[in-house]
Amino acid sequence: MAEMWISMGPQHPMTHGLWTLKVKVDGETIVDADPELGYLHRSVEKMGERRKYFMNTTLTDRLCYASSTTWTHCYVNTVEELMKVEVPQRAKYIRTIMLELQRLASHLMWAGAYMPDLGHITGALYFWRDRELFLNLLEAPSGSRLLYNYIRIGGVKRDLPDGFEAKTERVMKLFEQRLDEYADLFENSKIFRMRTEDVGKFTASQAQNLGITGPNLRGCGTKFDLRKHDAYEIYDEVDWDIQTREAGPGYGDCFSRYMVRIDEMKESVRIIRDCFKKMPAGPTLASQIPVRAQGEAFRRTEDSRGEALMYVVGDGSDRPYRWKIKSPMFTTISACPHYLKGYKVADIPAIMGSIDICIGETDK
Amino acid sequence: MSLFSFCKWMAEWTAQKMLIPIFEFQEGLFPPFTNPAGSIADWLGTDGGITTLAWLYAVNIAFAVGMTNLILVIHLERKIAARIQDRRGPMLSFRSFRELGEDLAGSAPSWKFKENYAGIGILQNLADGIKAIAKELIVPAKADKFLFTMGPIIFISSSVFLLVLFPLSDRFAASSAPAGLMVIMAAFSIAPIGVLTSGWASNNKYSMIGGMRSAAQLMSYEIPLLLSMAGVFLMAGSYDPVVIVEQQQASSWFFGIPIWNFIPQFIGFIVFMICILAEVERVPFDLPEAEAELVEGWTTEYSGIRYMFFLMAEYIRGFAGAAVATILFLGGWAGPWPIPPEIWFLTKVYLIIIFWIFIRWSVPRIRTDQILELGWKKLLPLSLINLLIVIFMVEIYPYFSEIVSLPEVF
Amino acid sequence: MEITSFKQKLSSCEGVTEVSVIRDNVVKLNLGNKESKDFFIKLREDYGFEHCSLITAIDNQPEFELVYHFSAINGSVFVKNSPSAVMVEVHVFLERDTPTIESISDLWGGANWHEREAFDMMGIYFIGHPDLRRVLLPEGFAGHPLRKDYVYEIHEEEW
Repeated sequence: MAEMWISMGPQHPMTHGLWTLKVKVDGETIVDADPELGYLHRSVEKMGERRKYFMNTTLTDRLCYASSTTWTHCYVNTVEELMKVEVPQRAKYIRTIMLELQRLASHLMWAGAYMPDLGHITGALYFWRDRELFLNLLEAPSGSRLLYNYIRIGGVKRDLPDGFEAKTERVMKLFEQRLDEYADLFENSKIFRMRTEDVGKFTASQAQNLGITGPNLRGCGTKFDLRKHDAYEIYDEVDWDIQTREAGPGYGDCFSRYMVRIDEMKESVRIIRDCFKKMPAGPTLASQIPVRAQGEAFRRTEDSRGEALMYVVGDGSDRPYRWKIKSPMFTTISACPHYLKGYKVADIPAIMGSIDICIGETDK
Repeated sequence: MSLFSFCKWMAEWTAQKMLIPIFEFQEGLFPPFTNPAGSIADWLGTDGGITTLAWLYAVNIAFAVGMTNLILVIHLERKIAARIQDRRGPMLSFRSFRELGEDLAGSAPSWKFKENYAGIGILQNLADGIKAIAKELIVPAKADKFLFTMGPIIFISSSVFLLVLFPLSDRFAASSAPAGLMVIMAAFSIAPIGVLTSGWASNNKYSMIGGMRSAAQLMSYEIPLLLSMAGVFLMAGSYDPVVIVEQQQASSWFFGIPIWNFIPQFIGFIVFMICILAEVERVPFDLPEAEAELVEGWTTEYSGIRYMFFLMAEYIRGFAGAAVATILFLGGWAGPWPIPPEIWFLTKVYLIIIFWIFIRWSVPRIRTDQILELGWKKLLPLSLINLLIVIFMVEIYPYFSEIVSLPEVF
Repeated sequence: MEITSFKQKLSSCEGVTEVSVIRDNVVKLNLGNKESKDFFIKLREDYGFEHCSLITAIDNQPEFELVYHFSAINGSVFVKNSPSAVMVEVHVFLERDTPTIESISDLWGGANWHEREAFDMMGIYFIGHPDLRRVLLPEGFAGHPLRKDYVYEIHEEEW
């Protein structure tokens, strides 16, 4: 069969958002790929330059609809560094809890979206059913289900509601039981492993060079997690380990990336439990929050999808002079010709699904 | 009384009491040699005319039974899928029209979901059918219009053809060809032509890949499928479903319990079940219409009733496939007395279908190269092994047991 | 290599000025445009900065500023008694009339699209880039919208 270009997207079940993947296929084998972005570009950086610092949390919430708290937190963290705001200890704990709940919700969203990619629709409903529980938890303190705007410059919007800990514990216990149940349906299933093992392989050194971070890098066996390696909030105080997996010596495939995220969810549960144990009383918002800022600051945090980096330059006014967002998926998508070549057309959703694409943050 | 003799009796009755008087009356209204009604009336009086009419009745009854089963299968699939996924599934029933009535009467709808949407949801099929008929039939501008239209017609007609081919019992059969199962398998393999046609005619790359996949898949699965069936044919010595079921019923081991084919030919049964799953293109073998990468494959460009044809045909093929499996390996319509054989047959068919539904909603789809590898490298040798075992049982062992008086095992 | 000795070594490099440690794990330095490529090769080959985190272009009116963030994932440079991963923040200043710099996308594959984005939004030209097209904005878009002198009204009719 002659080679031909197939355009997948912007409306395609594989894309998980609006982007185009042009693949050149020889029969069923992928010869070349060319990703195209920009369908969801909202010029967040430009908009941010015209808004005051505290107004921008609305925009950062909308960067990624699956993981809005982590992005707001990254921005807030950067601005706090720029303004030199001291965040109260309790607020740090609450932030960590919210971040981990968000990570759980985001990973569950990913797992639910990944299963239909493999042709397993039941998996989507199972994982999204569990995500619902975590959305309920996120809703309790913040008051909304998707775009929370809960983390503010200098702390958090309000304290946790009464009985939040007991409710969270209940949900987490149920969730852990269910993850064990799902193991039979997914990672122990022969067909699931047939589809994911030895597919979408890249080595750790390749991944580092191509700018692939987060669970995708940890799925190659690299022990790199910014929660430990560039510790923010109270991740250096609570008790947890970096989860890594590798499919073989120094490389990862779709299955190892899947397992890293599953392990990470279990680890998030551990972090939340430890946070509740160690959480002190006190205020949740800094008493003095400046409005203007001068200088430059950057912060990087471990987003659900990898390394999120924000760089803010202030010129002494109450609006950022330049605000730059680094999305982990931006570079990961740019590298997709490297890990798509040589696989079959049916592997495209399996591979692109396994790296957990979110176009909202990528297109900014 | 068999289905056909019943139809013949009905055909005689209608011809004598209704059709011939009507045509004769019509003939009287017009001048001679301008109206063929008289010759039709004459023909209906002959044996050939009656037989043709009886065939029409038989085929229509089989079709009606098949279509009823189709609706039930679709409903079953929806409900079981919903239960597996922790949902309720379709709940639409006649009671659900209350709100519509309230709306039409001008009063505000009461929104009593719990009371109004508590049916078993069988009306959902009707709603879907009405929706599909009401949709516009879109033909892509650059598509090959003739082939594009022919694709669904080939697919659905070959599938509906299946419905009249298999018997529900030895008395309830529209057709009774001596080569019955061969004809069924022949009808099964017409549908890929429709798939390939519609995939190519759509002028869409996804559709074309889907059509190609379908062709490759059916090529590689037809062979182990027929080889696993060959074992059964060898045992029964016939292609006739009735003979095959009788043979299964006749062979018994202990206490007079019949040994159905799936026990002596267990390998063949497994191979057949996997192959027929691939043949009817259900998960995990529904590669041609993989919605994740090929956007429903060869059905991408179809809309309205044409798309509905594809869906219906797939379920008909699934039903027919389960029926063939029942006839070949599960003893067909045989079962203890008080329950009629037709019910036994349908029970077994539905058990297989429920098993398939469970598979469909709990495993992912496998890949093209993997499915071909499975077909050629695993199923083909297994089906050959099964055939060898059957040859040993049916031909070699009896031959030697006559010479050296071996104990009678098989 | 410990971060303080790493800082010492960097200050002796050609074209590097104002080396300082901001936060305990970040080294910040200014770099001349001409010497940039040699420095980046050294950074990757000798010091093991495997990962290019971000390339930011800033319109400082009149000149442009490029900010590179690199991180050492494998711990070739480390902070004593801390698991923190070391980052280098490199500032390069470009002239407004000729905003060009040598591309580093052959060194870091991840820098490829960051450079495309800097070109797209700020109009910085990366010499030697394999595929310098717009990435977020459509082909044929006029102007570079994150520049401070970009006037939306001029281009309003086109888009």
